[in-house]
Amino acid sequence: MDSTPLLELNGITKRHVGRAALDDVSLSVPAGTLLALVGPSGSGKTTLLKTINRLVEPDSGSVRLGGDDVRSLSAAALRRRIGYVFQGIGLFPHMDVVDNIAIVPRLNGVPEAERRARALELLDLVALPRDFAARHPAALSGGQAQRVGVARALAAKPSLMLMDEPFGALDPVTRDELGRTYRALHDSLGLTTILVTHDMTEALLLADRIVVLIEGRIRADSAPAALLRGDLDAEVRALIEVPRRQAERLAELERGA
Amino acid sequence: MRSAAADALAALPELVRAHILLSGSAIGIAVLVGLPLALWAAGHRRARIPLLAFVGLVQTVPALALLALFYPLLLLTGATLHLALPALGFLPALIALSLYALLPIVRNGVAAREGLDPSVIEAAHGVGMTGRQRLLLVELPLGAPVLLAGIRTASVWTIGAATLATTVGQPSLGNLIFSGLQTENWIRVLVGCGAAAVLALAADGLLALIEIGLARRSRWRVRTGLVLLAAALALALIPPERGSSQQTIVIGAKNFSEQYILAAAIADRLRAAGYRTELREDLGSAVAYRAVAAGDVDVYVDYSGTLWTNVLARADIPPAAALRAELARALAKRDGVRMLGTLGFENAYALAMKRQRAKALGIGSIADLARAAPRLRLASDIEFLSRPEWRSVQRAYGLSFAEQRSYNPTFMYRAIADGSADVLSAFSSDGRIAALDLVTLTDPKGALPSYEAVLLVSPKRAGDSKLVAALAPLLDSIPIERMRRANLMVDRDIDKKSPEAAARWLLEARSN
Repeated sequence: MDSTPLLELNGITKRHVGRAALDDVSLSVPAGTLLALVGPSGSGKTTLLKTINRLVEPDSGSVRLGGDDVRSLSAAALRRRIGYVFQGIGLFPHMDVVDNIAIVPRLNGVPEAERRARALELLDLVALPRDFAARHPAALSGGQAQRVGVARALAAKPSLMLMDEPFGALDPVTRDELGRTYRALHDSLGLTTILVTHDMTEALLLADRIVVLIEGRIRADSAPAALLRGDLDAEVRALIEVPRRQAERLAELERGA
Repeated sequence: MRSAAADALAALPELVRAHILLSGSAIGIAVLVGLPLALWAAGHRRARIPLLAFVGLVQTVPALALLALFYPLLLLTGATLHLALPALGFLPALIALSLYALLPIVRNGVAAREGLDPSVIEAAHGVGMTGRQRLLLVELPLGAPVLLAGIRTASVWTIGAATLATTVGQPSLGNLIFSGLQTENWIRVLVGCGAAAVLALAADGLLALIEIGLARRSRWRVRTGLVLLAAALALALIPPERGSSQQTIVIGAKNFSEQYILAAAIADRLRAAGYRTELREDLGSAVAYRAVAAGDVDVYVDYSGTLWTNVLARADIPPAAALRAELARALAKRDGVRMLGTLGFENAYALAMKRQRAKALGIGSIADLARAAPRLRLASDIEFLSRPEWRSVQRAYGLSFAEQRSYNPTFMYRAIADGSADVLSAFSSDGRIAALDLVTLTDPKGALPSYEAVLLVSPKRAGDSKLVAALAPLLDSIPIERMRRANLMVDRDIDKKSPEAAARWLLEARSN
């Protein structure tokens, strides 16, 4: 294994009015990991994610990407090197699918023909037919739109992907499908991914490593299997209990039928 | 003699040109100032509320008052900063109209930015756009329909409100509307309103074309709209044909028929002498004199009594000749304004009654009237009751009427014709005095000063002997009967003539 982690958060603290949203959070993520950040609403997981691409600037602490402080680049230049996918999707409604996917290469000054070829390649990668290229976002279903969203994030070949509840607004079937598609992409492209989710089941099924954040502090940090077995405090156990109970109940139903 | 329609249409091209230039510039400035202001304010919550309140407040000022306000403001600014700011004409009209156009542009600009989907903005940040890229690639294209709707509203308003620029001496389609209203020449009013409406609809249509073009990503629509708008402005920028060696003389006129006729007559004379002329019509009484003193107007006709009481603020009433001599001396000394002389007639305030009614009541003078007044109704023009002349008459005779009402001059004559008033404040040169068989009451106590029509020239033209020579034939050349007939030609309901036509008649009659 590579000894220097791809991403290193050190003593991140962020205060909202009066209370700490993030309280001295440190985290080290080796390349190739799919890390799920899990926690209840308001636990600070989205805020933590956004400190990585500087959509949020921490009050103190540092973020290092590939060994360099993220503040050594302009925020815009940094974000072009990091993929970002979020629940709101945010496709540009006045641009067609190809222009949406190719936006970062366009910002980087890649010639038109080259970025179009890249965009078509990405359509294949996220399993959308190429004749979607000229469609506008309004003509896409939620799942299709988020596939385009993932393609857009991948267009500039980032090594790090930040995903904020990326599948949260999709129906369960689409959600599962897209989750598995993404996990396959993560592996085949050798990505490092930070996935924010409030859904412990999703985290357990997709991630290599789960970090539980409660009230701005890391309360658990381990592999999914270890988390299920581990010795946990009450609040973390409560989060784990839900999928466990559901799984047990489903198993009972199957046996019983 | 040409018809009223022909006269109105002859004036139209130049007025349309001036109108497009003024409203186009005002909208352009409002867009250039308003859009950045709106985009900035949309991101600054604290700035937004006072900004919207300010542009909203500007809107609540009636457009007419806003325009008039910039005359004294610019005079004051010019005097304070020792700058030669033109306080009359294009500049005050431009500032007022630009301010007026700000509200819809700023409000829609803020709304356009606030109405954007927050996810799209988050995505624009997330993919690494700089502030400039966000604006150009996302915010402007997505906000364009709302922004353009604001610009369309502003354009229609501004083109309409630009007709009011006439009142601060800036030629516009309002020239036809105001002079037409004043002289009840409905053809002029219709031509002016019609042309303004056509301009507003055309501008709105072209902007709509651009808006649709942007929404449907249709390049030809956007281009056609932009090209036609630019072409209209470019055409308006081409100055009217003029000999380069000619000097332009600005002729002022207040807002009634006699003033329009005399201004047109002066213009005719000066053009014959090789000058180019420009008319500033519908000036308020006080504005007209200050404009000539400031040099914004070169020449206009005023009345000795008005200047005496209003400009010099004198309360004594000397005989006509003494008043005239003292007036010429005082105006020259105080303001450098040169009084060339009288035109030959008087347009005095007079109290008038129907001949039969005066006879029946045994009234021949204002002193007789004072006895009967408590049972009589007075119809006056809008200015008269607040003028020093009225206070002087009241003091001298102890006048007190059963009822006093102010009318626009035309309706004042209607009121006495249909019997809803008994006495009116007439102008002695008004052709309607004879036409309605009215008598003017004598003024035995000399409470009203004389109101000889006098020709005034601005300080900067006072020493221009060529100009003075060109104007000289007008002096002492218009007897009261001729002026009354010329006024009646414009004021009567049947066979109505335009002021230009009446001016030509006045000059022809003089030379015969």
